[in-house]
Amino acid sequence: MEYWDGMKAIAPEIWLTSFALLALLLDLITKGRNSRNVGYLTLAGLGVTALALMGQGDEVVTAFGMVEVDKFGRFFKLFTLAALAVVCVFVMSDRRERQHGIGEYYFLLLGAAVGIFFMVSTNNLLLLVLGLELLSLASYSLAGFHKGNKASAEAALKYVIFGGLSAGVMIFGISLLYGLTGTIDIAEMATLGAEGIPRGLTGQLAASPIPVGIAVTMVLAGFAYKISAVPFHFWTPDVYQGAPTPVTTFLAVASKAAGFGALLRFMGVLFVRDDVQGLVADYGSQVGLLIAVLAAVTMTVGNVSAIGQSSLKRMLAYSSVAHAGYLLMGVATMNEAGFSAALFYMAAYYFMNLGAFGVVLYFEGVTGNDHIDSLAGLGRKAPLISIVMVAFLVSLTGLPPTIGYYGKFMLFTATIDSGMTWLAVVAGLNSAVSLFYYFRIAKVLFLREGPDGAAPRTQPIFTGMLTAFGVCTVVFGLYVSPIMRWVADSMDLLE
Amino acid sequence: MDHTLLNWIIFLPMIGMTAILLCPKRSVGLIKLISLVATFIPLVLATWLYFVGFEKGTPEYQFEFLRPWIYSASESMNMKVNYYVGIDGISLPLVWLTTLLLFIGVPASFGIKKGEKAYYALLLLLEVGILGVFVSLDYFLFYVFWEIMLLPMYFLIGIWGGPRREYAAIKFFLYTLAGSVLMLVAVIALRLETGTFSIPEMTELAMSGGLLGTNLFEGGMLMGMKFTTWVFWFLFVAFAIKIPVFPFHTWLPDAHVQAPTPISVILAGILLKLGGYGLLRACFPIVPGAFDDFAFTLGVLGVISIVYGAYVALGQTDFKRMVAYSSVSHMGYVLLGVAALTEWGANGAALQMFNHGTSSAAMFLIVGVIYDRAHHRDLNGFGGLSQPMPVYWGMTTLAFFAALGLPGLAGFVSEMVTLLGAYQSEDPRFRVLVLISVIGIVITAAFLLWAIQRVFLGTLNEKYKDYSDINAREIFCQAPLLFLCIALGILPAYLLDWMEGSVEHWVTSMQQAIQIING
Repeated sequence: MEYWDGMKAIAPEIWLTSFALLALLLDLITKGRNSRNVGYLTLAGLGVTALALMGQGDEVVTAFGMVEVDKFGRFFKLFTLAALAVVCVFVMSDRRERQHGIGEYYFLLLGAAVGIFFMVSTNNLLLLVLGLELLSLASYSLAGFHKGNKASAEAALKYVIFGGLSAGVMIFGISLLYGLTGTIDIAEMATLGAEGIPRGLTGQLAASPIPVGIAVTMVLAGFAYKISAVPFHFWTPDVYQGAPTPVTTFLAVASKAAGFGALLRFMGVLFVRDDVQGLVADYGSQVGLLIAVLAAVTMTVGNVSAIGQSSLKRMLAYSSVAHAGYLLMGVATMNEAGFSAALFYMAAYYFMNLGAFGVVLYFEGVTGNDHIDSLAGLGRKAPLISIVMVAFLVSLTGLPPTIGYYGKFMLFTATIDSGMTWLAVVAGLNSAVSLFYYFRIAKVLFLREGPDGAAPRTQPIFTGMLTAFGVCTVVFGLYVSPIMRWVADSMDLLE
Repeated sequence: MDHTLLNWIIFLPMIGMTAILLCPKRSVGLIKLISLVATFIPLVLATWLYFVGFEKGTPEYQFEFLRPWIYSASESMNMKVNYYVGIDGISLPLVWLTTLLLFIGVPASFGIKKGEKAYYALLLLLEVGILGVFVSLDYFLFYVFWEIMLLPMYFLIGIWGGPRREYAAIKFFLYTLAGSVLMLVAVIALRLETGTFSIPEMTELAMSGGLLGTNLFEGGMLMGMKFTTWVFWFLFVAFAIKIPVFPFHTWLPDAHVQAPTPISVILAGILLKLGGYGLLRACFPIVPGAFDDFAFTLGVLGVISIVYGAYVALGQTDFKRMVAYSSVSHMGYVLLGVAALTEWGANGAALQMFNHGTSSAAMFLIVGVIYDRAHHRDLNGFGGLSQPMPVYWGMTTLAFFAALGLPGLAGFVSEMVTLLGAYQSEDPRFRVLVLISVIGIVITAAFLLWAIQRVFLGTLNEKYKDYSDINAREIFCQAPLLFLCIALGILPAYLLDWMEGSVEHWVTSMQQAIQIING
């Protein structure tokens, strides 16, 4: 009986896995001739999984003692599905992707999603590592998908090496935590034990905080790699630039969100929940300070490095590093307001980054490369897409009336409220710096004269989707309550 | 709280913008017509508001409109943001000036022959942002409008500007944004401290000495400095960049010189006022204690702006750059007058904002007229233009005299009142400041007269002898501004009577608040 309850609780994961296998099978049967059908099958699979997710009840269920089925996890799962759907549309509407004959593409995307699903919904560090590795393995292959392309292959290799290294560090940290506390479950670590009893963190912290600090920092390294925070960001520009653009989109949005989902759960369950032992919660605020420093350094390095870039994808890679820094502000507060703000910013990030990468994909199709200077004059030739791009850039900079502004506003509020005004000031000045490189794109699009020529061809579905994203970026910046309600509803993690 | 009039004034230009975006690109005439209508109706409404609707002599906010905007059931996320607008005697003249200058800005832009559709759409969006700032009484809303303004300005300078437009546009954007992120941090801190975004409520709390940052920080101290001091400087820098006060002024000459004429007019005429207005509405009354601590510093900055701005203007050979630096000088009076914290000083500052709005706008239009004909702005390259262009010469002289403070014209009244007010300040050091700022007046007279001499007098350059005089469209743009320069020089009461109630209340409540805070 218990077994079936557990199976029911992880039904979305089962659906996702089944569709991943189906996609592979369909590709095999059609011998890669009609990869578009595989795309439709994938979209159907994402839809079915989303329905299964939304059919789940409100109360928190623990399946097999390992998988926490709660609304917090559901936020990130639905996020992932929505992001993957967009990535699928990108793949399907990109002619260059189709040349590579590409059933496995979809299989890998779905496989990565399965990894993300487990990663964001477990308190068990073992399962966390498994989910993380599943996501990483799929991402490595996706990054190197253009087999004949040297940059793509190099990107994949760099990704593997950095990923292996940081995963090793993280697993070492986890083994330390296990050795210190005698459990692999973070909820138990935080709540069990008292002074003199070795099980749980409290006893260890009472003895000496240093070993715990080393262990937590090492685990943090693994997360930092996934979300591309400094100093584990070095892979980001190369991989983002070298990988096919839809894959870059996937890495920048879905994979990063997964890293944040897992990080928020790790920090929330270990340090923030009400039932956490006092000593552990106090220690949590020190970890918060460490994360605050990490956030400040990450956003500054990201923004300053982005200034000099001439490749659009590379610039957006550094921008995504900077955004990891902003998101980390929410984590650093170690309270509900901060976590909610991070979730809200995640939603904002979804619209503006998927939109921006979509536009980059479109520009690549038009100009054949991703140099910023080759965009000159496109503002006049493709006005709709260019205006939409400006909306994304405004949102990425964090200016009203866009969703990116409201996200930053919430992050700033949470940060100042928890006494880290300096961090809000650093982040504010960073936004001003980021304006400089974001608006380089707007400048080249609209302020420079380009070569004459006909307006580039567009696919209506693709243009329509990007326009919808642009509209959402502005509308949800003025009318925030739907997303706020969703975010507030997803905070059952801390209950 | 249910007057919808202000909403119409703010958002009519946005309706016009939407209509323009729906127009086909080629029907330029229709686009111009829509822009004229969309800027004219707000002007009519604002004029009605000024002469009929507004009740003079009371410091209360009028025509208020309040609706809840961003609320949340979750306590940790409930921001309690309202859409809250209203006007008083300080904002009303500036609202009217905005609608006037934007209306003038449309025919003044008829010379623009590239991307008209985008140009007029952006111009109308700019009007929405500016008017929104002047009427917002909710700090969140204020900030949103403050930033909405930047984007159209960036593109208006960047696409239709002069040769170095890219540099000027991004410099303008970066400077303002750097200031406004500091404002954002301060606003959030104020919201957390007071529990509200409402500017009147924040002001009331501050005036009773209840806004010291003790809710947010222990003892109201942050890193060894008072919370209110931090807030003061963050807000001050944000607004000072806009005014611009020395040493935050360096974006201004670039932006002005590169911007097309109508945009320069709006930039000098209204955008600079946003800084002064921000100080009066949203900075000083919220941290009166810190204002008192640094009042003399502000006065010094004001005087440096007056003298330095004028001195640098003296050295310019570019006509437009000279006018741009004169703005730095003239806006210095606003800061000096407010810092003195006397009724005369504050009234003078508010007057000066309006009068600089008309006279500097007139001067930028004048530069535009000659640039359209000669395609250069080198002061030393002209000469004797009074012969082919006598009407133009007369108008220029009038505008310049208004700017340099000739008695009988508007500039004289506001500068005089400001300096008198500053002299009356309780702090005797302000008298020294007044004496120094007189140097600024002399230099201003010098560079303006010298400019007239170099452009209009002397021997006529052969190249220019066939120039047509100022045409009807240019006179149409110029005339209302010159009329105001004369009328308000003779009858300043037509402005003062409207402002007095609010300004006097502003000064007395600031003085009381400072007494309460200093014990």
